[in-house]
Amino acid sequence: MSQAKSIDHVIKALPKLQSRYNIFAHLEPSTKILQRYNDIQKNQPNSTLAGTISAIKDNIVTQDSNTTCASQMLKEYKSPFTATIVKLLSNAGTTIVGKTNMDEFAMGSLGIHSCYGPTINPSRAFFANDDMGKREMVTGGSSSGSAAAVSATIDGDNIIDFALGTDTGGSVRLPASYCSVLGFKGSYGRISRYGVVSFAQSLDTVGIFAKDLPILRGVFDVLNKYDRKDPTSLNDLLRNEIIELSDKCLHRLQNPLRIGIVQEFNQESVDKDIKSAFHDFIGQLMEKGYTVVPISIPSIKYSLPIYYTLAPSEAVSNLSRYDGIRFGTRDPNEDVNNEAFFSKTRSNFGTEVRNRLILGNYNLSSSFAHNNYIQAQKLRVNLINEFDFMFKFPNVLTRNKANVGDDNGIDFIISPTSLNKPTFVRRAMSDKIATDEYFNDIFTIPASLAGLPTMTIPIRGNEPIGIQIMGQYGDDQGVLDFTSTLMKK
Amino acid sequence: MTTHTMLLSKRFLQRRFTTNNKFKFIPGYKLKCGLEIHTQLNTKKKLFSSSINHHPSSSETPNSHTNFFDLSLPGTQPILNHESILFALKLSLALNSKINLNSQFDRKHYFYADQPQGYQITQHYSPFAKHGSLTLYHDIDNIKEPTKKINIIQLQIEQDTARSIYLQPPQNLTLLDFNRSNVPLIELVTEPEFNDIDQIKAFIRKYQNLIRHLHISTGDLEDGAMRIDVNVNVNEHPRVELKNLPNTTSIIKAIKYEYTQQVQTLLNQKNGDVFEGGTKSWDGQKTIKLRNKETMVDYRYMPDPELPTITLSTELIESIRKTMPMLPDDIINMLVSHPYCLTMKDAKILTINSNSNSTSNKSAENEVSIYNHEDLRGYYLETCNEFLQLSNTGQKVNEKSPLKLPTNWIIHELIGNLKKLSISFNEFNAKCMNPPTFAEFLTLIKQNVISNSSAKFLLFEILKQFKDSSSMMTKMEIDLPKLIKKYNLETIDESNEKGQEFINEICNSVIEQTSNDLITEIKMGGKNKEKKLKYLIGQSMKLSKGKISPKEIESCLNKILFL
Repeated sequence: MSQAKSIDHVIKALPKLQSRYNIFAHLEPSTKILQRYNDIQKNQPNSTLAGTISAIKDNIVTQDSNTTCASQMLKEYKSPFTATIVKLLSNAGTTIVGKTNMDEFAMGSLGIHSCYGPTINPSRAFFANDDMGKREMVTGGSSSGSAAAVSATIDGDNIIDFALGTDTGGSVRLPASYCSVLGFKGSYGRISRYGVVSFAQSLDTVGIFAKDLPILRGVFDVLNKYDRKDPTSLNDLLRNEIIELSDKCLHRLQNPLRIGIVQEFNQESVDKDIKSAFHDFIGQLMEKGYTVVPISIPSIKYSLPIYYTLAPSEAVSNLSRYDGIRFGTRDPNEDVNNEAFFSKTRSNFGTEVRNRLILGNYNLSSSFAHNNYIQAQKLRVNLINEFDFMFKFPNVLTRNKANVGDDNGIDFIISPTSLNKPTFVRRAMSDKIATDEYFNDIFTIPASLAGLPTMTIPIRGNEPIGIQIMGQYGDDQGVLDFTSTLMKK
Repeated sequence: MTTHTMLLSKRFLQRRFTTNNKFKFIPGYKLKCGLEIHTQLNTKKKLFSSSINHHPSSSETPNSHTNFFDLSLPGTQPILNHESILFALKLSLALNSKINLNSQFDRKHYFYADQPQGYQITQHYSPFAKHGSLTLYHDIDNIKEPTKKINIIQLQIEQDTARSIYLQPPQNLTLLDFNRSNVPLIELVTEPEFNDIDQIKAFIRKYQNLIRHLHISTGDLEDGAMRIDVNVNVNEHPRVELKNLPNTTSIIKAIKYEYTQQVQTLLNQKNGDVFEGGTKSWDGQKTIKLRNKETMVDYRYMPDPELPTITLSTELIESIRKTMPMLPDDIINMLVSHPYCLTMKDAKILTINSNSNSTSNKSAENEVSIYNHEDLRGYYLETCNEFLQLSNTGQKVNEKSPLKLPTNWIIHELIGNLKKLSISFNEFNAKCMNPPTFAEFLTLIKQNVISNSSAKFLLFEILKQFKDSSSMMTKMEIDLPKLIKKYNLETIDESNEKGQEFINEICNSVIEQTSNDLITEIKMGGKNKEKKLKYLIGQSMKLSKGKISPKEIESCLNKILFL
């Protein structure tokens, strides 16, 4: 699985990655990286991920380095324990070189809301000859550093084989598409979140970035484990049931797959390049013999309001532990106040986090006839039911009736990953209208709300254009297999 | 209300309430109270983590039973402890509640130093159980009415907070002990149906005994294992919540004080007056306002997004119902009925734990350490069972109270002696006389092998030996027939010649030892004749080691002294 490159080359390249693209929140010292790498070569050279170089998002806790979530609030925070997924990766023999930059507490879709400053998109579409400074484009977020880490090359070589991010509403898929790499988020509950700092637990998932699909699949296999420490982890009973269902679906390999195109995704405002690339892609699918069918999932039009009701509400709840008593600093003059939604003590949070805290508190306020959160949850259930009605593969959680019969149900849904191509960092940072950024999640949010396994694939070489493949809940292997087929050409 | 009655009432009030002890309700001013009780469950682990749920009174090092979740460190997640659900189920069943087959956890948000998450995980939208009740009875619970049913609105499971310890100046610090953080609590809310102080006292006592009986909580108010808030309102006065009430005495005093306050407010009301409800605290003397309705915190309740629904099947509930112990009221009713026929007082001794088990309770001295009502009840019931088997050899089945002997001997004689000798009941049971042995002992009395008084002598001797021989370390061998021989305690058969001879001998030797003056006085029939004769009877009994009945002795003495 190891890519042919020397560790010395990696160690020399890392400071360049950092100075050019601002990828890391924390970079491990060279001696430590070297030692770790050599230890693995000596002691476990045959482990699944031996020889690979990786990075993880800075909202995943590690005992031996700080975990800051790119926030002033956690600037000096060092966790006394390590996330399950980091342990799994380490046991599998990867060398983790650092923690990656991100939007503060994973809130944002551009990679610009960080106490470390924005991450710069390293895609060769913008840096033809490693030419610095001319076109500083955003990476997308919130897993900005992880996407950039996998995308970046030094002297034409990839340095980081894979990186972990988190995806709540598109935070892996959007930057993956902006940085022209593969980005996969598993079904909700597939990969353990124990040790992943919560943003909105009912939506949070861990995702994987890589350029190389076999590496991505290798990492997924390592992480695809039930974890009793995570109450939302998919249990072994259901995992086994899904495996049995997948075996039954093997006929998918013989019959032409039915691919759904969601009518509600036909947005006026989609960038024209993305639109044409997507149409080309559909054309190629049909040429290859796939059956492409238009489908309708009416509730998709509510997905943005549902998401921006649920996610900020959960976020405000999760972030209330950062009250300035145990984390961050305490304002000497004004203390935490019962009546205020946030007080001066919480000025350690950045602007975008504060925006969302206000929105979240608004949603949860009892003064609204009936708590908006609960309304949004009901609409979310409708959305899931509509997805269930489309897929051939049954949903083991809802137990809704699957759409069996080869003429009706669909195997996968495809859509563009983003509405737009990345913009200039400087322009994004001066933009005062937060909701523009929110709209960019329009294609990624439905799969988050329904917990669907979704892969984004770059479809125009180094262009920042990706398409998404969504499968039914639990059908992660199906999505990965389909991606393999597509990439073989 | 007319001016006249108002003035009268005012005077009445002043008279009544300046002397704090003599509280009485004012006619026309009705008290209405509801209770909100928080009960700490004594599960092995905490509600959502694997930390040990230590007993609040134990003097553990602060912050020694905490893990990452209890401290709300980033990246931690709650894992529900199923023992808490089992305990909540038991309580819900005991309170005849309607159990929610799909209850859920919600987050209640507020900032406070003792709440590290910034929210408490509780059950707001879909609580664990609803519509329960606990009925109070005149004879069992000492209330004035024959019965009073208190309806329980709901039961919910929630997290306890950390404990704040406030250091006074010059330190001016608040210390936080997270040993209590995330300990499981059950919050119970009653309907505001209490209208008498006795009912409140009775409810607290009964509920406390119930949770101890179910072994789900220590139920101690003193160390906060049980905490009670009270809402009080008189007539149209808005509801006032009373908090920080450390024990039953404060609860009662605070309610009386608040009642008086509200009655006075109502008496002094002018047209257009708006009364204020809100939350008050009790400082030991008076109620103090904490906050009113307008400054109430918006808790911004939200369903917890990662804890699963607690799904229960009716089969599971039924199987738990089958494992439920008999409830205290049922036990009392059983004990006062045939064949036990206990008095209410004795039945309560075996059923109600009026004192705390905890070591922290200083008022609970010897009495508590001697026995525990539950162990004693087990011993009593087992002994009764053995006793009935031994004595029921076909005859005398329909006795009126066939268990009078076990009752009197265990609840009174035995416990009295154990207290006198400071022997723990459990030691006695384990190493001295277990129920079969004690039943054998009682059967000997019943079959008149030894007399009642010989038996008293014998039991005391056994206990003394048990205590003295420091044999409390090992099991004591008890051979009752041998002991009876050793102490020469067999009953005298008064009907035969040999028996009569023995009685004569005893009486004569007592008379010989007694001064002639006294004998003469008895013969003369002086004013204290009866008393003096009783003295002689007593002496004779003592000499015979209780083997002869007082009646036989009296008739023998009469014969000898020609009375």
